[in-house]
Amino acid sequence: MATSRSDPDPSLRKDGGQTDPPGPPFRRILIANRGEIAVRIIRACREMGISPVAVYSDADAHAMHVAMADRAERIGPPAPASSYLSIDAIVDAARRSGADAIHPGYGFLSENAAFARAVAASGLVFIGPPVATLEALGDKLAARRSVGAAGVPIVPGLLVPLMPTEDGGAPTELGEIRFPALLKAAAGGGGRGMRRVDAPEQIGPALASAGREAMAAFGDGTIYLEQLVAPARHVEVQLLGDQHGGLAILGERECSVQRRHQKLVEESPSPAVTPRIREQLAESARRVAGTVAFHSAATVEFLLDADGNHYFLEMNTRLQVEHGVTELVTGVDLVAWQIRVAAGERLSAAVLGAALRGHAIEARLYAEDPHHDFAPVAGTVTGWRMPDGDGVRVDAGIAADTVLPVEYDPLLAKLMVHAPSRPEAIAQLRRALDETLIGGVQTDLSFLRWLVDDPTFVEGAYDTDIVAQRWGRGPDLGEEERSLAALAAGEARRQAVLDVPRGPEPPAPGERAWAVTGRREAVMRRRPR
Amino acid sequence: MSELEFSIDGEPATPITGWSLSWVDRSAGFAQLTDGTESISCLVEGAGSEWVVTLRGRRIPVTARTWRERVLAEAESSAARHAGPAEVQATLPGLVVAVAVRDGDEVAEGATLLTIEAMKMQNEVRSPRAGRVAAVTVAPGQTVSAGAPLLRIE
Repeated sequence: MATSRSDPDPSLRKDGGQTDPPGPPFRRILIANRGEIAVRIIRACREMGISPVAVYSDADAHAMHVAMADRAERIGPPAPASSYLSIDAIVDAARRSGADAIHPGYGFLSENAAFARAVAASGLVFIGPPVATLEALGDKLAARRSVGAAGVPIVPGLLVPLMPTEDGGAPTELGEIRFPALLKAAAGGGGRGMRRVDAPEQIGPALASAGREAMAAFGDGTIYLEQLVAPARHVEVQLLGDQHGGLAILGERECSVQRRHQKLVEESPSPAVTPRIREQLAESARRVAGTVAFHSAATVEFLLDADGNHYFLEMNTRLQVEHGVTELVTGVDLVAWQIRVAAGERLSAAVLGAALRGHAIEARLYAEDPHHDFAPVAGTVTGWRMPDGDGVRVDAGIAADTVLPVEYDPLLAKLMVHAPSRPEAIAQLRRALDETLIGGVQTDLSFLRWLVDDPTFVEGAYDTDIVAQRWGRGPDLGEEERSLAALAAGEARRQAVLDVPRGPEPPAPGERAWAVTGRREAVMRRRPR
Repeated sequence: MSELEFSIDGEPATPITGWSLSWVDRSAGFAQLTDGTESISCLVEGAGSEWVVTLRGRRIPVTARTWRERVLAEAESSAARHAGPAEVQATLPGLVVAVAVRDGDEVAEGATLLTIEAMKMQNEVRSPRAGRVAAVTVAPGQTVSAGAPLLRIE
C-alpha cells in the first residue's frame, strides 16, 4: 500500500527538515464540483486532516456533498454556466471560506487554463497540472502534432483543421486517409462534435453540423479528420507525477464498454493487454507526458486495434471518473496524492514502484434508460440500496429521496469490485449488482446485469461496439420476469390492505410518500359504504 | 379483496406460481422473491392498482386491479378517446430549445412539435395524433417543469 505519507528528503521539505511530524499539506480545500466526485474528495480531505469546503448551485442546496462538508458556499443558480462553470463565483467562494487550495474534480473547470490561472492569481493552489500544460493539451490537434513528433503512434489523419470549401462541399486535401473516417473537435471530448463519415462526399454536410455542435459545447468550432480505427478497444494509462520529475505509471484501464462515446464500465488490467503491450503503452505514455511540464494525475488515452497496435488519442490532465479501479489494483490513493504533490511533496518509493495486484471492475450507475437508447431520465430516486461486503467499493453522490437535477450529468454512483482474478471480479460484480436496488427512476442497472453474463464480456473479447452491437435496446421483457412482477405487485397490494390497523396518520420522518398514500387508499377502500 | 387481474404494458400477465414474496425493508419497498431454490431481490413501489416492480434493474409497471376497477377504467379511457383536444405536456423538466410549429399548423401523428433539452440531451416532443396546433404557450429559451402544458392538438 502506498497510502502512507511520503518521506521526502528533509532538506526539500517546506519546514526545512524540522523533526516535528509534518502537518496536513493544506488547511482547507474548496471542492469545485458536485455529486459523487465531490463526496470522494471530501473523504480524502477528512482522512488527511484537511477541512473540506463544498460549493453548490440552487439545484444542489440539499445535496449529499453539501451536507458532508465542513462548510458550503452557494455559487449561483442551477445552470452550470452560472455556477459550477463560473470562475468568478468559485474563486470568490474560496476566498470567503478561507481555503488555501481548490480541487476541481473532473468535468466542469478541471481542465480550464483560465480557471487555473485565476486560482493562482488569487494566491491559492490549483490541485492539478501547471497552467501551461492545460493550455498545451486543450487543443487536441496541437497535441496530436507534438505527440507524433515525440515518436508516439497517432491515429492516421489530418494534423491541421479541416476547412469547409466555399460551396460547402468536401475539402480536397485529404492526403492518404482511408474511409470510414471520423470528424473530431479540436477543443473536444465526450463525443461532442464527433461524426462518422463513410466517403469523402459526406464530409461537407457533416462538417457543418459537427462544427456547430463543437462551437456550442466548447466555444471553438475547429474540426479535424482521423481515420476510423475499428474494431478497436479504448485503453488508457494512469499517470501520477510530482513537481520534482517523479513519474509513476500506474497500469492501464480498459474502457471499451461505451455508449455515445462515453464510458459505462472500466476494468484494470485490460484483458487485451499482454505484458509486452503494457510495456509499449507505458513507454508511449511516458513520451506523451514528456511533451509537457506535467505534474498531478493524468490519463493518456489510446486506441488498441485487433493486432495489438496502439494509437494516441488524447491526454487528460485531471482525475478521471474511473480512477477508482486503478486505486484498487495499485493501492495508491490518487486523490490524496494529487493533494500532496500540489503542496510540493515527492511521490514515495511505494507509489513509484506500485505493481498491479488482482483485478478491478467499475460499473457506473446512471439515471438513464438502457431500453431507450440510454436516454437520461429525470425524477426522484426513492428506494436506494447499495451493495457491500468483501471486495466491494461504492462511490455515490446521492441517497434515498433525492430529486435529480436536470442540469447535470446523470451519474448516480460507481460500483467497484476488486478480486484476485478477472473471473472472480466478474462473479463479485454480478453478486453486487444483484444486491443493488434503485427505485423511482429507470437506471442502467438492467444493462449492467446483462453485461456480466454476456459471453464476449465474460471472455474479455469485446471492443467499443459491444453496446451498439450486442445490447441494442436490450432483450424484451421475459415471461418469467412478467409473472414475477405480477406476483410481487399482487402481494404488495393485498398486504397493503391487510396491514392497516387504523386511520391515516402523518408520515413518520423518512417515510415514502407512496407508502402513506397506499395506506390511505387502503383505508378508504375498507370503509363501510 | 376479490380476485386481482394483472396487466403489464397493456397485455395480461399471470402471477408466477410456486414463488413467494417476503419483505426485507417494508417501508423502503425492498423485498425478496423465492421459490425455495432461487432468490431474487426486488423493489416494489405503488399504491391502489398501479405498481412498479424493479427486478434485475428493470422497472416493470404492473396494473393489479379487480374486475370492477378494470371495467370502470376502460369506460373512462374510451370516453377520453372520443372527446376533444389533446393537451401536449412536457414529460421531462428542461429547456425549450426549438419550437417547430405555430398556432394553426396542421400536423400528422408523430410529427415533431418542439425540442426540449434535459440532462445535456435533446428530446423531441411529438404529436400524439393528427390535428391542428393551438395554444402554443412556450418559446425557445424557456424552462419548463414536468407536466407543464406546451400546446394543444385539436
